[in-house]
Amino acid sequence: MRSFSNVNPKSLKEATSVLKQKGQAAAIVGGGSDALGMVKERLITPDVLVSLKSIRGLDKVTEKGGEVVIGGLITLDALSRDPLIRKNYNVLAEAAGKVGTPQIRNAGTLAGNVCQRPWCWYYRNGFPCFKNGGNTCFSITGENEFHAIFGGGPSFIVHPSDTAPALVALDAKFRIVGPSGERTIAAADFFQLPSVNPARENALANDEVLAEIHLPAAKAGARGTYHKEMDREAWTHAVVSVAVVMEMDGQLCKTARVVLGGVAPIPWRVPKVEAMLAGKRITPELAAQAGAAAVEGARPLAKNQYKVPLTQAVVKQTLMALGG
Amino acid sequence: MTPLKTVGHGTHRIDALQRVTGAAKYTSDLHLSGMLYARVLRSPHPHARIRKIDVSKAMALPGVKAILTHENCDTTWSSGDQLNQRKLFNNPVRFAGDPVAAIAAVDRHIAEDATHLIEVEYEVLPFLTDLEEALKPGAVAIHEGGNLSLNNQRQPVPQTYKRGNVADGLKAADHVFEDNFTSAHHNNAQLEMRVSVAEWSGDKLTVHAATQGIANCRTDIAKDLKLNVDNVRVISEYMGGGFGNKNQCQDSDLMAALLAKQAGAPVKLEFTRKEDFVAVHGRWSSRQSYKVGVKNDGTLTAIQFTALSGAGAYRKGSCDLSGTEIYQVPNLETSVSPVYTNTAVAANYRAPAYPQAVFGIESLMDDVAYALKMDPMEFRLKNMTRKFRDQTPYTSIGLEDCIRKGAEKFGWNQRWKPVAGSGDGPVKRGAGMAMGMFGSGLGRSSAVLRLDGQGQYHLHVGVTDVGTAAKTTMGLIAAEELGVPLEKVKVVWGDTDTCPYSVGESGSRTTVQTGMAVIEAVRDLKKQVAEKGAPKGNDVYTAMATTNPPPIQGASRNSFAAHFAEVEVNIETGHAIVTRFVSAHDSGRVVNPLTAQSQVQGGAIQGIGMALHEELLYDKRSGQPLNAGYYGARIMTHLDAPLVDVVWVETDEPYGPFGAKTLGEPTIIPTVAAVANAIHNAIGRRVKSLPITRDKILQALAKKGDVA
Amino acid sequence: MKKISRRRFVEGTSAGIVAVAAVPAVQAQQKTPPAAAEPATTTGANPSVPRTTIKINVNGVDRRVEVEDRWTLVELLRDHLQLTGTKIGCDRGECGACTVLVDGTPLYSCSQLAVWMNGRSITTVEGLAKNGKLDPLQEAFIEHDAPQCGYCTSGQLMIAKALLMKNAHPTRDEVRTAMTGNLCRCSNYNHYVEAVMAAGGTAPATGGGNAA
Repeated sequence: MRSFSNVNPKSLKEATSVLKQKGQAAAIVGGGSDALGMVKERLITPDVLVSLKSIRGLDKVTEKGGEVVIGGLITLDALSRDPLIRKNYNVLAEAAGKVGTPQIRNAGTLAGNVCQRPWCWYYRNGFPCFKNGGNTCFSITGENEFHAIFGGGPSFIVHPSDTAPALVALDAKFRIVGPSGERTIAAADFFQLPSVNPARENALANDEVLAEIHLPAAKAGARGTYHKEMDREAWTHAVVSVAVVMEMDGQLCKTARVVLGGVAPIPWRVPKVEAMLAGKRITPELAAQAGAAAVEGARPLAKNQYKVPLTQAVVKQTLMALGG
Repeated sequence: MTPLKTVGHGTHRIDALQRVTGAAKYTSDLHLSGMLYARVLRSPHPHARIRKIDVSKAMALPGVKAILTHENCDTTWSSGDQLNQRKLFNNPVRFAGDPVAAIAAVDRHIAEDATHLIEVEYEVLPFLTDLEEALKPGAVAIHEGGNLSLNNQRQPVPQTYKRGNVADGLKAADHVFEDNFTSAHHNNAQLEMRVSVAEWSGDKLTVHAATQGIANCRTDIAKDLKLNVDNVRVISEYMGGGFGNKNQCQDSDLMAALLAKQAGAPVKLEFTRKEDFVAVHGRWSSRQSYKVGVKNDGTLTAIQFTALSGAGAYRKGSCDLSGTEIYQVPNLETSVSPVYTNTAVAANYRAPAYPQAVFGIESLMDDVAYALKMDPMEFRLKNMTRKFRDQTPYTSIGLEDCIRKGAEKFGWNQRWKPVAGSGDGPVKRGAGMAMGMFGSGLGRSSAVLRLDGQGQYHLHVGVTDVGTAAKTTMGLIAAEELGVPLEKVKVVWGDTDTCPYSVGESGSRTTVQTGMAVIEAVRDLKKQVAEKGAPKGNDVYTAMATTNPPPIQGASRNSFAAHFAEVEVNIETGHAIVTRFVSAHDSGRVVNPLTAQSQVQGGAIQGIGMALHEELLYDKRSGQPLNAGYYGARIMTHLDAPLVDVVWVETDEPYGPFGAKTLGEPTIIPTVAAVANAIHNAIGRRVKSLPITRDKILQALAKKGDVA
Repeated sequence: MKKISRRRFVEGTSAGIVAVAAVPAVQAQQKTPPAAAEPATTTGANPSVPRTTIKINVNGVDRRVEVEDRWTLVELLRDHLQLTGTKIGCDRGECGACTVLVDGTPLYSCSQLAVWMNGRSITTVEGLAKNGKLDPLQEAFIEHDAPQCGYCTSGQLMIAKALLMKNAHPTRDEVRTAMTGNLCRCSNYNHYVEAVMAAGGTAPATGGGNAA
């Protein structure tokens, strides 16, 4: 591995101050597994690793004035087991529980998972693409089996996170801390299309830390689930996934949130489907129509056409399982 | 078959304790005094000429002690290419990953940093990634003589076999079926990455090699480094799997030795996981074409098989394709052309020529059975081989029992659907089967057996035990022949200084070949004891045996197998999983049912991965491998693996140690085809390209037809 | 099932149980010193590389070690603390061979820096056997022929240990789910699961081999 020094800040203030000071020469580390892998591959070449593990108190789940506040450094394992999250925000507990493997979940953090870089094999193999500081996307005319069918251009990566679609479905807000202050933005605004900036996937600046995730008070009768299709039974990123939250009123679905993973450079909300379900009973016919609606406007590439029927099936099956 | 005392009973591995306590020392566990660490710099280009290498900055990095490039190292790596076309450092480089330099330093991080300081000027050449493109006129020649690899007589002709007259056979048929199949290059992916440790003591070289054959490794190293073989010692006490990519000597062994010589210190040369995927070797890919003639009653009249196999950048393996022999047919023609491309090299991986070819022929025969409205099992019972190549009797053949007993255990009649694709709902189940066979010839090997004055036997065999429990098997054979419990036999292994020649664990030959040598050594020792009485005090009797039985006249010795798979496919999502699997094997007498069961279950699960997941994928425009590594290959996990039931068909085999036949490789041969046939039975469509991934299943369903 | 007497063959082998609890038996080619409480020295490498001194407990032994910031935990264990039982199969968190317990939690030690382990307590495969007695998991692994080549075995043991510490009698599916982060390319999954279930008392104690 290329050499670097590791610093263990005691506070977010200290951490962001180092990040600001070092600029591109520093990288933050939550659980560490992703960052370390990228350092080993020389995808990033930091001189300083800012390890957030030493900051106390950033890993809790607390209720504050109706909201639930989750520290960004909570491990995915702890998040998936947290009784409050499982009870009221099950979509997030399920999503966290489907990341990687038990060992990965024991180390990986929520913030780290949300901010994970893409797993596009051109990017990860060091091709000079947008994500690596270049000005092209190699997937367009190449091996794009796993790339985007929505929202792509000029980069066609898919967002790799499982927790991200769940957080968007929960209308989460992200509290971001930087050296000169903090800001809170909606999860939906955190993730950015490549048309905004093809080099990045989100609005986090180099010297900022995703410190907390805020979830609005759970609605009565809310239920949620995260369905993940993988190309082996575990330990892969979603080929296609969906996070669904429904606010039920007896047998009727009052409101729904449907957010797709594995199909776009950002978690892909499908408002058209949400509107179709509002106030209705989830029948097999409605679920099938919703599935078809979910893939309207899809623009598959040469090798990922299969994601269209797959997405349709995943939406249909998940809606039935949750609301039928 | 008469039951025996020791052989045939499930026995723990004699080294299980070392493996479960972390005490077993594998090559990468070695830390020698003053040891340096080495890494390899590799070509980023699939095909290029090296114009200039500047190593000055690398050598100037504090801690760097030695470096090799094509400029100071002309060594041939003879086992890296059957036609002797491969050096340790080649110019031109012929695949992304071809070594350009090797550098040794006081720690691995410095060695890695140093590789980034080597400056290389390349003249990029046109490159090829596709087999058919490689054969077109005008394609860039990867080797002299063109891209159709020369055969052993250095002729640019395919490997062929013929009996009867296929044209006549096809004319005599009532129906002729034709189809094409492809299979991908995929990796052995053993857990232990390539590593070699070399140290010199004067003129004597010791290489701690993770190898499957210490004797062959030693002779290869001596040959390539031009050393007296007596001055080369190879040690491999424990090694972490190989499935064929650790035969003989590897380039890392030679590079480590040369760096150690230059630096005057021991060197440990390590590959990363990516390097292990790209720069060692994997199973050759294939493009297969079949024509099959059959009568209305299902009798085969002819098989014509033509294929290309993907050698990769060098000719390290035989690149043969072998599947048609499992059928009885009077007219057969096969033609296999190994073709070069500027991609990862292909060579031995567990039954190298078989599972991909059996996938082809068994998929097609399945289609023939359906077309004739015959149960695929009945079709196979009718047409399965009864004599080797239809003329030579087998020494023993339990194929029919493998099929019948395997089918019974599996519940074939309950699980196979006469109408493929039938059934309600999006989740479809289906069943498939396939047959296989694998040669189990006799051959040369040696063993040394000592008896000390305390009544303890010491069995010296040149096995390394890639995971097959070969040491235990040899101990059991000796114990049986001696008539003593296994505890009385201490097995000594893994060091050419103390162990005689063994064929090496490849071709599944150790049990048979070394086993026979062990029996001979026991007989010799028994004679000595009969003549002289048992040894006393410090006396040690030694018996040395080298057996080299002549080929069996007039009979062919093979193992046989039949595999049965049930799969569940969600036709809306394309998700496929194997829910039930039965492996039925005739390997003669099973020496150790406990470890043999491990082999069979392991081979089946590996085969399922080959069927559903694994491919080393290349980007065509740049010639770069995209998914090298465990994540990219989607290696089978605990949750992917079904329970594999094992059915033993123990035939009375007259040859071999206690009638044992080969086992290790047959375990994967019919697997892939069984899974493919099960998927077809489930969904009514055939995917004719490996791996059978979700996108291909969905494509086949959308097209309402098969997918090539 | 023919068993070899484990006690006898342990005494007959050079790397027996005694060697496991402490430092592996010194062999001709190994000249590394026994583990001690002083800072482990490096191999004389580049002095300008950032280093940190950490306190770490490994298999019950407190250590104070000076590490390069870039050393992974597995590298510290294998190359500098003479604990080579933990293996590296990929160094990328993609295989599980390097699994160790950190404060009882299973992690990939290739994906953790040594410096992040300051103040933590690490258990490796060498720490499983207590006072010369094998852990029931180790016994079960031998009985059910869990290791083939053995390279993934240490990792499988540690993840299984973590499972049994939380769930003493797991079902087959619970075992497979808990261990899914550990690859075995020899693909001996069936036997690993049998072994763990046997150790957990939910499966027959003797191994198979003679399938009907």
